[in-house]
Amino acid sequence: MPSALDATTNAQLRRPNLPLITLPWLACALLGLAMLMLGRFLGSYQETLMQQVGIFAIAAVSLNIVNGLTGQFSMGHAGFMAVGAYVAAATTYYGSLLHFNTAELQPGLFNFGHVLMLIGLLAGALVAAALGYLVGLPSLRLRGDYLAIVTLGFGEIVRVLLQQTSPQVNGKDPAEIAAFTDAPLRTLARIPLNGALGFEGVPAYATNLWIWTFVGITCLAAYRIKESSSGRAFLSIREDEIAARAMGINLTKYKVRAFVLAAFFAGIAGGLLAHAGVTTSPIDAGFQRSFEIIIVVVLGGLGSISGAVLAAIVFVLLPQVLHPIKDYRLVIFALLLISMMLLRPKGLFGVREIWNILPRRAAHTKPGATP
Amino acid sequence: MSTFLLDAQNLGISFGGLKAVQALTLQIPPNALHGLIGPNGAGKTTAFNLLTGVYKPQTGSMTLNAQNLMGLPPHLIAKAGLSRTFQNIRLFGELSVLDNVMLASHCRGHHSIVATLFRSPTFLAQEQAMRRRAMHLLDLFALAPAAHAQAKSLPYGDQRRLEICRALATEPRVLLLDEPAAGLNPSEKQALAKLIQTVKAQFNLAVLLIEHDMSLVMQVCEQITVLDHGCTIAHGTPSQIQSDPRVREAYLGEPTPTPAGT
Repeated sequence: MPSALDATTNAQLRRPNLPLITLPWLACALLGLAMLMLGRFLGSYQETLMQQVGIFAIAAVSLNIVNGLTGQFSMGHAGFMAVGAYVAAATTYYGSLLHFNTAELQPGLFNFGHVLMLIGLLAGALVAAALGYLVGLPSLRLRGDYLAIVTLGFGEIVRVLLQQTSPQVNGKDPAEIAAFTDAPLRTLARIPLNGALGFEGVPAYATNLWIWTFVGITCLAAYRIKESSSGRAFLSIREDEIAARAMGINLTKYKVRAFVLAAFFAGIAGGLLAHAGVTTSPIDAGFQRSFEIIIVVVLGGLGSISGAVLAAIVFVLLPQVLHPIKDYRLVIFALLLISMMLLRPKGLFGVREIWNILPRRAAHTKPGATP
Repeated sequence: MSTFLLDAQNLGISFGGLKAVQALTLQIPPNALHGLIGPNGAGKTTAFNLLTGVYKPQTGSMTLNAQNLMGLPPHLIAKAGLSRTFQNIRLFGELSVLDNVMLASHCRGHHSIVATLFRSPTFLAQEQAMRRRAMHLLDLFALAPAAHAQAKSLPYGDQRRLEICRALATEPRVLLLDEPAAGLNPSEKQALAKLIQTVKAQFNLAVLLIEHDMSLVMQVCEQITVLDHGCTIAHGTPSQIQSDPRVREAYLGEPTPTPAGT
């Protein structure tokens, strides 16, 4: 009996999956193209803003897996970002010193410097994911405020540990470079990440094209997770843990999985930030940055991927738009956030996506098409 | 090797000084319809929580199809083939009706994160199979037209039926129903009685039913266990239970020694 069913339904069942596959890819391609075009018209100030938006978007979309889909309140997301940032920064910086004998930006659209960045991003993401596993484990027993405090503590531990690291090798001093290249492992063993001063001089390979490519990849991954069996498991935990368990969901496994996935992409966001031409500082691991990401997630709607991206754009650009009114802009900004929460307490889109809300007609045809 | 599908012996748990359930023995053969009744606070729902692993039994033993269930966490008990509904409905309200049922078949599959991210053919096939099965179940419960509605937007009676539908999606051997008729009107109760018997026959499973509605219990159950204050006070067929003095006493109070007035 099942085989007969298979034959008849296979073709018709593939159809509902089609938009799920093509739509995100289309969006990614459009985004990348837009960034490439924009680059020609934007000044360096606007380019920096776009980079910030992109990095914020990746951070928010990844935090959304834990805070939005799974309903666990993590306040240590900046800690995972910082771990990714430092691992990626160190990989590219010291890799460049070894390979090019300098940490200067190498010209060209794609060279070994970019390869180093990609290796660094992957390494940073993996280390962050490993820490996400460790932080995710207590989430089985802790919930709500208690879990928030544990994750907050994690971010602070990362910040304090990073402040204890030793000075970095000066990339402008040939003698120091020579000493490093002679015995790289001995130098790296003392963890030269420049302590509280912040890690400087990482070549800025992460242009908007790179950053927004990763925005696309992150959104696609998040979307595929959300629209899968794992995504349903995450959402069921958010809705009702007792019922989820009774229906056979392994709470430990899925809570930890949410943390690992979120930390992985947070590591990528951090790694990109480290390559965006700014100093990577231990303060980036602190709670202030974590709160900013939480604000973006809540603004966009807990569980909404497109909402998180849109909220990241608003969050970064609004203070710039309000620049003419000087000191009052923070007041206006806060008022906007408050009124937003009053008018749309579930964020911009709630758990839904922008394309589920905009075309009302599509929503009407859907139930009729199923039987 | 017992002939019973679900064989729970001497289950007990106490919270502090309160012995919520003591020495509960439930032996349910395959394809049986077993009732669990008792006055309010008798420990019926606690018994369900012991069977499904929400509480760990402090005494006794429990096997399903000869597989030991003692000490297993709830999700493994569900996987072993014991599924339940809740007295106060616990649907995933924000999720669609379809997603509620699809989620329940989660424990029957393998969900690697790599396959999910790359949408591998096995992943897609599994998702399709889950969707097809869920739609099939919803059809059976006449809930298919509402498949894409939010679960919390369903009328009360439909939510009760969706809970049963969701419990069936875990492919149980034994289905535990916790007051499924609560809040239903008489005609809905009749429909429910029929539904329970259909489900039992069609899915070849045993049903353990907690219910306050005596006419429903007496109508559908083959065997009944009566609890009071955590203790099993009677066990037998509906007619045996109806004539049992201890059951009358538990429900109606002690008979007055001398019926002087009348």
